Amino acid sequence: MAMKCEADNCENEATVHLTEIREGEKHEMHLCEACAATKGLPGKSHYTIQQLLTGIANQTQALSQNKTRRGKDPECGVCGTTLSQFQSSGRFGCPECYVAFKDDVQSLVEKIHDSTQHCGKVPTRTSSDVAMQKDLRQLQVDLKKAIRHEEYEQAAALRDRIRKIEDLMAAGGVPSGEDTPVGKKKGKSES
Amino acid sequence: MNLDQMILAPGEWMRGSGPEAEIVISSRVRLARNVRGYHFITRMDDAERLACEAHIHQQITDSGVANSGAYFSLHKMEPIDRKVLVERHLISKEHEDATHSRGVAVSADESVSIMVNEEDHIRLQVLQSGFQLQDAWKLCGKIDDQLESRLEYSFSPQLGYLTACPTNVGTGMRVSVMLHLPALVLTRHIEKVFQAVSKINLAVRGLYGEGTEASGHFYQISNQVTLGRSEADIVNTVETVIPTIVRYEHEARQTLLAKDRKRLEDRVWRAFGMLKYAQLLPSDESMMLLSFVRMGVQLGLLDPMTLRDVNDLFVYTQPAHLQKLCGGPLEPAERDTRRANYVREKIQKCGL
Repeated sequence: MAMKCEADNCENEATVHLTEIREGEKHEMHLCEACAATKGLPGKSHYTIQQLLTGIANQTQALSQNKTRRGKDPECGVCGTTLSQFQSSGRFGCPECYVAFKDDVQSLVEKIHDSTQHCGKVPTRTSSDVAMQKDLRQLQVDLKKAIRHEEYEQAAALRDRIRKIEDLMAAGGVPSGEDTPVGKKKGKSES
Repeated sequence: MNLDQMILAPGEWMRGSGPEAEIVISSRVRLARNVRGYHFITRMDDAERLACEAHIHQQITDSGVANSGAYFSLHKMEPIDRKVLVERHLISKEHEDATHSRGVAVSADESVSIMVNEEDHIRLQVLQSGFQLQDAWKLCGKIDDQLESRLEYSFSPQLGYLTACPTNVGTGMRVSVMLHLPALVLTRHIEKVFQAVSKINLAVRGLYGEGTEASGHFYQISNQVTLGRSEADIVNTVETVIPTIVRYEHEARQTLLAKDRKRLEDRVWRAFGMLKYAQLLPSDESMMLLSFVRMGVQLGLLDPMTLRDVNDLFVYTQPAHLQKLCGGPLEPAERDTRRANYVREKIQKCGL
């Protein structure tokens, strides 16, 4: 069942079979290892989802601009993993890499998960302010929903709870997160 | 509990006694965790890997989460025994193939398996027969809490549980359900399932997970996104789509029976005939034949053969299981003969 490589002027047998399902459509590509390498696709027999995704990330403007702007290969201060090492393996070397490559992480994570904020389980050991930040975020989501559905009593109750938590956090010297309406508090109106 | 004792039973994956077990083979919830104070796997030297493994192993033992099971040190095992663990869906192929210090803790009933030093320090998996995602998640979460009370996890309030690969960051959770969909393949509607599933950001993979083919018409549906959604949300998304796919499979079977019963019966009986009489049975062919026979048994075409009989055949015709049954490693050609022998004997015992 030999398949020919789909690249122009190539008579080799296709050994790299790429099936991509994007937005409900299936795209197939069959290439020989040499042409796959030319096109920048991994030709290994066992390439993983993470390599594919970081391969996609490789091709984005942002990452390559970052690298050329810095003119060198940035590295993690704790484990020494370089950005290019991460790009080829798809893996970080230590938790500090997430901080060292912050900008790249943000755009990559946005691409993969369509989000940059964790809203799931939190280790029980974590300090209470992390838990409070999480509660705050959830309440803000609920508040937006209540307003959208014109459930104003519910919205008022949620707003009270949000203010209570924000006061607690301010009293404890805890930052209440970047996207809270703290700044909007000035000139707040009762409604 | 040792491996030789374990393989006397078929294991949790093909236990076949959970809800909807005709179409839904198993449900799986996996959490990825890393312990603070250690590098991620790729940057650890041998000494650190040993230390990390020993540390986690100790805490797993002390916490009792692996429930009178066993801890397997993979680098000390025979290759064939590692393969058995892969075939029982207790470790990944990656864990099998690695060469560094690593292990897996497995509970006695094989529903819990905790890989140590795989891509992340800890890969906690709960596997349940049939369609039981909520139960699997509850148990998985509980074990996660128990381990977390003894180990400090790498965690960031913004990015969640920190994993070696950003595709797992956040909840570190992979939820998957394995389905048997032969009729959808026959009616060529399986493509529609892929498309529908990919529209809600779920992935479809083959029998042994990432990078494998859909052998035996087994397909795993799993989430891809791990950050920005709660664990309950991710479980619900996968859980919601499964009954629909199960219904499609049932409908496809009814369609085949209604529109062209003779052809369906012919396919089932031909598959059965091959299994009953073949002298050489390569592994991938055996998977396909067993798949049609499995469907045939469920449609009542192959009495007195039972679903239990077919499920057992799936387990023990796998390469490593077969070799263990036969007493040790075999060359591929010899394996094909022995597989055929085993299947013929088993069918005879069913009275067919």
